[in-house]
Amino acid sequence: MHLTFKIIVVALLMLPQLVFSQSQEFIFENEELESRFYALTNEIRCPKCTSGSIASSNAPIAEDLKRKVYEQILSGKTNDEIKAYIVDRYGEFADYRPSFDSWNLFLWLGPGFFLLIFGYLFFRQQN
Amino acid sequence: MQLIKISSLILLSIFFVFLGGVILDDNQSESVISGKTFPVFQQKTLDGKDISNKYFSDKTVLVNIWASWCITCLVEHPFLESLAEDINIVGINYKDDPKNASDWLAKHGNFFTVNIHDPQGNLAIDLGVTGAPESFLVVNGRIVSHIIGEMNQRKWEQYFAPNL
Repeated sequence: MHLTFKIIVVALLMLPQLVFSQSQEFIFENEELESRFYALTNEIRCPKCTSGSIASSNAPIAEDLKRKVYEQILSGKTNDEIKAYIVDRYGEFADYRPSFDSWNLFLWLGPGFFLLIFGYLFFRQQN
Repeated sequence: MQLIKISSLILLSIFFVFLGGVILDDNQSESVISGKTFPVFQQKTLDGKDISNKYFSDKTVLVNIWASWCITCLVEHPFLESLAEDINIVGINYKDDPKNASDWLAKHGNFFTVNIHDPQGNLAIDLGVTGAPESFLVVNGRIVSHIIGEMNQRKWEQYFAPNL
């Protein structure tokens, strides 16, 4: 019983070390690169998951894409270039901030358009 | 009354937009990678030979992403074996140990024309792969079909056979 308790205590003490060692997988020269990495991985959707970014997923493909983002940040690629790399392979679906173009026009303007119509009809009905 | 009519029209439009989204999402042949040329690569085969994207430039090939740790790959294996009589099947051994992969092939049968070893999954990412198994139809260096998951008779007839 006493030994079991000791083992549990040691295991609990090692837990933060394990978490820390995992978070140290990606090492950056400065905070700016690191914050770019976390911002980008939060904006890229995990293609294997129902919903969630690659930052929040430990699916193998999410880990691979995080590694790709990391390598590309270190090689000097811009955020737009890195996102283009992902979108080229996994489509607009993978981008949580889809581009504003003719294909996405409805997605961006649709809610406002419907709000205006319903607002107009509502006030017309009231009057 | 007019308000109800216009509201119904708008709600109906929204319904069709979502319906369109669901139908498009279900049609796996409309993969973002379909229509593109096979990615440029230079890798080793499982038996240590060099291979590049030039291999695909003049043939019709079924490319299958597989791994020895992948249960679904074992499920689709007999169907792929039956296809191998009529079409070249190139394997991309995905994030696997080469020894485990060779043992798996020895045990379950090796009908692959060649097996590209992709231990880091780099080629798979360039193909837009999300995991194993996935399959591609490549005609003269161009990807014409792509499915995610198990290849079977229905998917073959729906997404691949029409593009041969």
